[in-house]
Amino acid sequence: MTSTRFSSLRRALRWFFVRSRGDSPFKTLLIHLALIGASIIAVYPVLRVVTISLRPNDALLTTDLRIIPQNATLDNYRTVLFGDPTKNRQSDFFLWLWNSFSVVAVTSIISVILAAVSAYAFSRFRFPGRSAGLVFLLTTQMIPAGMLLLPLFIMLAQLRMINTSLGLIIAYSVSSVPLTIWTLKGYYDTIPIDLEEAALIDGATRFTVFTKIILPLSSPALAIAFLFSFMGGWSEYLVARVVLQKNDLYTWPLGIFTYAQQFTVAWGQFAAASVMIAVPVMVLFLYSSKWLISGLTLGSVKG
Amino acid sequence: MDETPLIRRFLPYLYWLIGLFLVYFVVNALIAPYASGITLSVQIVIRRLIEIGGFLLAIFAGLAIIEVYFYQIFFRQPRTILTAWIVRILQGVFAGMGLLMVLAFFERTDLFRLQEGLLRSILYFPNTLVDGLRSTLMGIGLTKDSSGWMSGVVLIVIFAGLFFLNHQLTVPRSSKLGMAYLLVLPAFIGVLVLIIYPFLFEIKLAFSNASLGTQATKNAQYGLIYGWNNLVTLFTGTVAKDATFFEVLGRTVLWTVINVVFHVSGGMALALLLHRPMKLQGFYRTLLVFPWAVPTTIVAMALRNEFDSRYGLFNILLSNLNSWLVDVSQGMVSVPVLGEMFAWLAAHIGPVSWRQDPFWAFVSVLITNIWLGIPFMMVIILGGLQSISHEYYEAAEIDGASKFQQFRHITLPLLRPVLTPAVILGVVWTFNKFDVIYLITQGGPQEKTDILVSSMYKAAFSFYRYGFTAMFALVIFVILLAFALVYLRVSGGLKSVTE
Amino acid sequence: MASVTYRNVVKKFGDVVAVDNISFHVEDKEFLVLVGPSGCGKTTALRLLAGLEEVTSGEILIGDRVVNDVPPKDRDIAMVFQSYALYPHMSVFDNMAFGLKLRKMPKEEIKRRVYEAAEILGITNLLNRKPRQLSGGQRQRVAVGRAIVREPKVFLFDEPLSNLDAKLRVQMRAELAKLHQRLQTTFMYVTHDQVEAMTMATRIAVINSGRLQQIDTPQNLYDHPANLFVAGFIGSPAMNFFAGALHMADGKLVVETDDFVLPIPAERAVQYQKYAGRKIVFGIRPENIHDVHFIPPNIHGERVNVKVDVTELMGNEIFLYLVSGKNSFVARVDPRCRLRVGDQAQVVFDMDKFHIFDAQTEEALR
Ligand SMILES: Nc1ncnc2c1ncn2[C@@H]1O[C@H](COP(=O)(O)OP(=O)(O)O)[C@@H](O)[C@H]1O
Ligand SMILES: [Mg+2]
Repeated sequence: MTSTRFSSLRRALRWFFVRSRGDSPFKTLLIHLALIGASIIAVYPVLRVVTISLRPNDALLTTDLRIIPQNATLDNYRTVLFGDPTKNRQSDFFLWLWNSFSVVAVTSIISVILAAVSAYAFSRFRFPGRSAGLVFLLTTQMIPAGMLLLPLFIMLAQLRMINTSLGLIIAYSVSSVPLTIWTLKGYYDTIPIDLEEAALIDGATRFTVFTKIILPLSSPALAIAFLFSFMGGWSEYLVARVVLQKNDLYTWPLGIFTYAQQFTVAWGQFAAASVMIAVPVMVLFLYSSKWLISGLTLGSVKG
Repeated sequence: MDETPLIRRFLPYLYWLIGLFLVYFVVNALIAPYASGITLSVQIVIRRLIEIGGFLLAIFAGLAIIEVYFYQIFFRQPRTILTAWIVRILQGVFAGMGLLMVLAFFERTDLFRLQEGLLRSILYFPNTLVDGLRSTLMGIGLTKDSSGWMSGVVLIVIFAGLFFLNHQLTVPRSSKLGMAYLLVLPAFIGVLVLIIYPFLFEIKLAFSNASLGTQATKNAQYGLIYGWNNLVTLFTGTVAKDATFFEVLGRTVLWTVINVVFHVSGGMALALLLHRPMKLQGFYRTLLVFPWAVPTTIVAMALRNEFDSRYGLFNILLSNLNSWLVDVSQGMVSVPVLGEMFAWLAAHIGPVSWRQDPFWAFVSVLITNIWLGIPFMMVIILGGLQSISHEYYEAAEIDGASKFQQFRHITLPLLRPVLTPAVILGVVWTFNKFDVIYLITQGGPQEKTDILVSSMYKAAFSFYRYGFTAMFALVIFVILLAFALVYLRVSGGLKSVTE
Repeated sequence: MASVTYRNVVKKFGDVVAVDNISFHVEDKEFLVLVGPSGCGKTTALRLLAGLEEVTSGEILIGDRVVNDVPPKDRDIAMVFQSYALYPHMSVFDNMAFGLKLRKMPKEEIKRRVYEAAEILGITNLLNRKPRQLSGGQRQRVAVGRAIVREPKVFLFDEPLSNLDAKLRVQMRAELAKLHQRLQTTFMYVTHDQVEAMTMATRIAVINSGRLQQIDTPQNLYDHPANLFVAGFIGSPAMNFFAGALHMADGKLVVETDDFVLPIPAERAVQYQKYAGRKIVFGIRPENIHDVHFIPPNIHGERVNVKVDVTELMGNEIFLYLVSGKNSFVARVDPRCRLRVGDQAQVVFDMDKFHIFDAQTEEALR
């Protein structure tokens, strides 16, 4: 009886410690404890947002630390999604998402198209001005995000583009285009030049080489570049705050900030909106993190 | 040549279309009961699509025209002397018009300003032409909107005609670099408009007294003296409202150093813990990148409330800790040293006022930013660790190196190619990153948590000190540039970057 | 079908002269192999013909047409790359059809040609695969197939076999030679492997540091190398060289080296008489040095005292690494030879089969 109990315990322990041959069981235990601790620190604040989103409105202010609150309810979600008929309030949630999406998608499309073409030149041709151009593009990454915002703001104001989505698209493209060029150049550099020469001999023009060989081969990189650019703009707050001042143009960061500003009233709604926005983004991020990282190292670290 | 039936070839698109419609109808039916509460309407979506579509069309049409123009310059040459004259004149006129339009754009955006008069009307000649075209179109009965569209179409037709004419008058020639320049051109124009031009504008602005009082650039005065004034104010006055430049600079350095040190050491520690054959590795890694995966804006806004003095997470934890300490110390009153120690701890550890106390406010933004930044470093370092071959460690083990010596003499040097650029980028990014600060404390209390860039942002968009901000921005840029140059000197030039 | 002509072709990369004033003519339907040590400029010479590089000076002709300014796609050539350069995103069929599609050939015709080429190369069953699903040998065939379907005037090959294992290489060598027979088209083939060159070529052009050394049939190249470089490069193991001089001794012409003196047989002496007194390099191939017990009949043999340094048994023959004074050299002898390492012995030089080169100019003396 006892022996079987111990053997199952032993098996459980062996499952846990197996393959960590180099380390003693005690050390392995410590390592797992440390990682569990770190994981809790990493995850708990995020879970708190979920917790708060589930709290009923009359219990928002509490010192309770449980993850699933008492009397959990989805009321906040309903209010965020569909408004609150009792108080005659409408919901802007979808509007914000649409505003964000349309602006960021167009920014990404523009920068990927511009970059796909020019990165090819930077990768394959040796022309006067090439290194200067590359260094310049890198330098733009040193320019503080806020630095060009002021002249851009005044420029947009003169062109009457403040308070338009187009203005925000222009402002976002500033940081997006150079980074995308770098990412794609890094990828093009890994495509063997033999392939292009073979196509040239097969009867292709430079243009066909680009459309029939390079573009199809770099479609994963184009996707990464798009994702990069999209992620960069998707949750941007500071620039949007300056360019957009009209409620009906608000992107979601601006939108949920209006919740976050009112501590008591809308904390639950803020949390619910955050959860609904963050979950898809996190799923996408975790799913694509491998590429994101290799793209990052390609684009920035390897050069 | 292609004998697959048309319908077959377009079937996939058809499926997509049908699918989209289905999704639309299902969603529509689902939210119909609540639809009255949702502000996003189909009209809004369509209006935005048209707006953006028009914008994209305009950009790509413009780029296409410029590309074709340069294509003809690079790759076509006139047949005869006579055609050479015609072609060159056409191209000259085109270039002149383009130049005028660029200058007019500069004028419109106040890079320089012309008095009403001949010069100005010359500058605006191309624009006047377009306006004229538009008003004619309106004259023949088009609405305001459609006349805009139509004049675009008319212009494109005119350009197409001109290019066709040019094409007929010329023969092909080969050009080695033409292709490269044609490819770089769109991005070059983009960078010119988006970066170089605003940068020049910024320099100009730095030598002005532009502010809310002067209605931005409208009534602003320009001159070296204003630049000097801005510079003097920057170094002797306040940068936003309360804080002084050197105070904020010091805090920025502190902010950058603390952040990067914690990011790298934390990331390194986690990566070293993870980098071993063990169970649940993938699980831990996924959990540990959570802070990176959540949109920063959400994290910052969420944590902003968690720093609340009563109901925020941090003070709840601290007050729980405090009451535990109080209990323990009461239980141990009689124990000599320990009792005193716990009493002391109970008296000193407890909730803090994250919002009002400048020190704790700064700690709160640091905590948040450190928490956010560790996963990135962890992932980068983990990638670096995984690229180091086992054989080095085995060789070192045979040589009798201790674990620490292995870390010191194998891991660190071999991580350098990954670590160095990551640290450099980390420094620059952290130096410039103030969304956390802005969202959590807004620099408060009394700008005691501001760093340079957040002060600059506030100077521009909260206090509307435009000329001053421009000078401020240039100074920050110079600081960063100096850092970059020193780094490049140390690391041995840009060769590796451009190769 | 076309001939190929290089006229004073020079190619410089900055300061590096990759191709240095090369001129030669390749007849229609020839199988010309460009051979030389790696880095000598063979690939560059081929790429100039393909139009992937521009000549610095000189002219290249395909048929009668100067192609200096013709882009690659209009030169009517096909090329097989060392890396094969198969398009990774296309199936084998599409890889082979790509060039034809670009030329707007009717679908039926494309299909016919691809299947025909696949048939020839035995890759019909692979047509739907992607390149990464193929083995090295199969990729190589696809690369060749891609060239065949185009039915070009000239085929270019840049070390196409160097990524294959030894056995496959031998097999492909035979198949390429057969293919040339069948297609009756001009082949230009680059390799650093003189065995490949010898087995496949109708003529071989030997290149060293960008210069053409000699262009001739394999047999002539082997029997009458024009200079020291060609003599050393062609043949394996390489020809043995001894520094020495030509002298008249007792009315007979002799080769005198530091360690031995070899009289030249009368019928060949006539030819070299005029060079008496000159410093020369004496060359003899390993197979023309024999063990004293197994001397072929009817040769003018000369004995030389040697010490055996190393022996390598190859089964059908033995390589003896010999030392005579300061000279060390190789002999390829009958497998029945009983010499062992360390033996003092005598070997016989076949004096009908030697070569003599000027020590200064390194040119063969004739
Ligand atoms: N694109 C290039 N740029 C500079 N030097 C080159 C280039 N291609 C070849 N070379 C140089 O030209 C010489 C000949 O190269 P190559 O023709 O590739 O030799 P191989 O005979 O091995 O094929 C080498 O010294 C090489 O370094
Ligand atoms: Mg080569």
